[in-house]
Amino acid sequence: MKTVINDYISSELVRDTELLPLADDTSLLDSGILDSLSLLQLVVFLEERFGITVGDADLLPENFASVNTICAYLRAREPEKQAAHG
Amino acid sequence: MAYLLQRLLTEAAAAHPQRPAVASSGCLLTYQELDQLSNKVARALLRMGVAPGDRVGILAPKSVAAIAGMYGVLKTGACYVPLDPKAPAQRLSYVVQDCCANVIVTDEATIPQAVALVRTAPEPRAVVAVANSAGSEGGGDVNIAVAQGAVILPWAAVATESAKPLVDDRATETDLAYILYTSGSTGTPKGVMISHLNSLTFAEWAAAAAGLSEEDRVCSPAPLHFDLSVFDIFSTCRAAACLAVLPEGVATFPVSIARWLESERVSVWYSVPSVLTLLACYGGLRQLDLSRLRTVIFAGEVFPPKHLARLMEQLPHARYLNWYGPTETNVCTAFEVPADWTDASPAPIGQACANAEVFAVTSEGRRVTQPGETGELYVRGPSLMRGYWGQPAKTREVLVQNPFQPEYDEIVYRTGDLVSLDPAGNFNYVGRRDSMVKVRGYRVELGEVEAALYRHPAIREAAVLPVPDDLLGSRLRAVVIADDSGKLVRQSVLDHCRQWLPSYMVPDVLEFREALPRTSTGKVDRVGLASE
Repeated sequence: MKTVINDYISSELVRDTELLPLADDTSLLDSGILDSLSLLQLVVFLEERFGITVGDADLLPENFASVNTICAYLRAREPEKQAAHG
Repeated sequence: MAYLLQRLLTEAAAAHPQRPAVASSGCLLTYQELDQLSNKVARALLRMGVAPGDRVGILAPKSVAAIAGMYGVLKTGACYVPLDPKAPAQRLSYVVQDCCANVIVTDEATIPQAVALVRTAPEPRAVVAVANSAGSEGGGDVNIAVAQGAVILPWAAVATESAKPLVDDRATETDLAYILYTSGSTGTPKGVMISHLNSLTFAEWAAAAAGLSEEDRVCSPAPLHFDLSVFDIFSTCRAAACLAVLPEGVATFPVSIARWLESERVSVWYSVPSVLTLLACYGGLRQLDLSRLRTVIFAGEVFPPKHLARLMEQLPHARYLNWYGPTETNVCTAFEVPADWTDASPAPIGQACANAEVFAVTSEGRRVTQPGETGELYVRGPSLMRGYWGQPAKTREVLVQNPFQPEYDEIVYRTGDLVSLDPAGNFNYVGRRDSMVKVRGYRVELGEVEAALYRHPAIREAAVLPVPDDLLGSRLRAVVIADDSGKLVRQSVLDHCRQWLPSYMVPDVLEFREALPRTSTGKVDRVGLASE
């Protein structure tokens, strides 16, 4: 999961190549990688790739701070996804 | 008394010395403090040899330092040129050389970037640093460094200047107040020259149209080099209201912006529609108390009607104003969206604002008078720019004799925007006459993006096309023909673009081809490419 997310951010969202390779704990906010519109690009990608819906209330700095926190957020969503399918 | 922009500040400081002028990242500056701070900056600039008519760069994000710097420059009789710290170095360097900005005002954190930039100026003279707070007397190093001919004046040195007002006006209302650089079709940015009169015409109308009072807290996320910021800086000052600066970290998350609007008690908001679309879709507005937000103004691009409806549904108590005007005219038309607006088509750009006349001219050269007719929009009045810096020929293409005024010389501006008249007498935006598009509300000349691609040594041909996008206005699609296909990689092209272009102008989609399709006359078949 981490690799998929890191690859997407590295190839689609990173505009300053000095930030590459992207570490999983690099701050996506302080580094300027995420702005309001690239954040939404990322959300659309995550929703399509992982079959989830990201609500307003989840669109927060703590969930999107780094590749690591995005993974943690997605993992926390796993049970509800399974529940929905079951 | 002279009709000058800095009078907005001196008058607000005289009438409301203790009222808050700027609230930025926890720092609050009163009108008196802002006025005195800008006096210090002006005196430091005079000491550095700045003279009336000079161009002085402002390299800083929207902040206390930048705003004090702008007023400081105006008080010397010079004009300022906003420089976006996030823009590529080569583009900033082009601007500094183009308008001979030999002095740059910056904040303390941006000094190294300002020093590197001023060294690329024709005759590097000085970097002047301003603190981002009122009470700070520097206290640090007052030593004045000299690096390769350019003097670096730290804040501690600027702080020792007298805060007393300067005696002379040093400018007239037709002198330049600022130059805003915008995308140019020939591959380099062009500088829109705005005089004191041009800007005041807008600032005073806008303050009245938005009903600003000293109780208001006004915010626009637009950066200084974008003309939307003229409103939150000068109209706010006209009303002695408070300018609330949206912190950079907050601007990323719609929910964070919305919460900030609530906690800062913002009452007037002005932005491009895409930011409002994000707030409407992801801002979680219903959970917040935004009852103080009484006026929402948007400009710069078409607001998709379904998102406007969604916003109005969530914030039903606010007024919604659609303002229109290229940088060259400031704002020239306005439309107040009625509360019961349910139209499926975009809101009209409306009718001429005070001190402006607008009319549309059909392709046959006739004035549009009947509902349903379409023509190019022309604008007349004191808000029109003085011209493009250093480009008299380009200026004459757009500032032309009024075709309906045979009796005397009268200049009108050709916007290049096609509009249609509706039965209520409002103009509606239809499209462009040329190849300019809007991305996130910013003007992008496709020719400038193509010119940047052509600078890549391995690119033989390039065509850039807009792809309509609900959120961004347009995305940019570049079709590229490489000299030695197979070797040129996507990353190399994008890296190259980022050296020359601001991020909103870097193509979103890149396609490599063997050849560009041509029309029978040998031109690139843009229509064919766009329909693929």
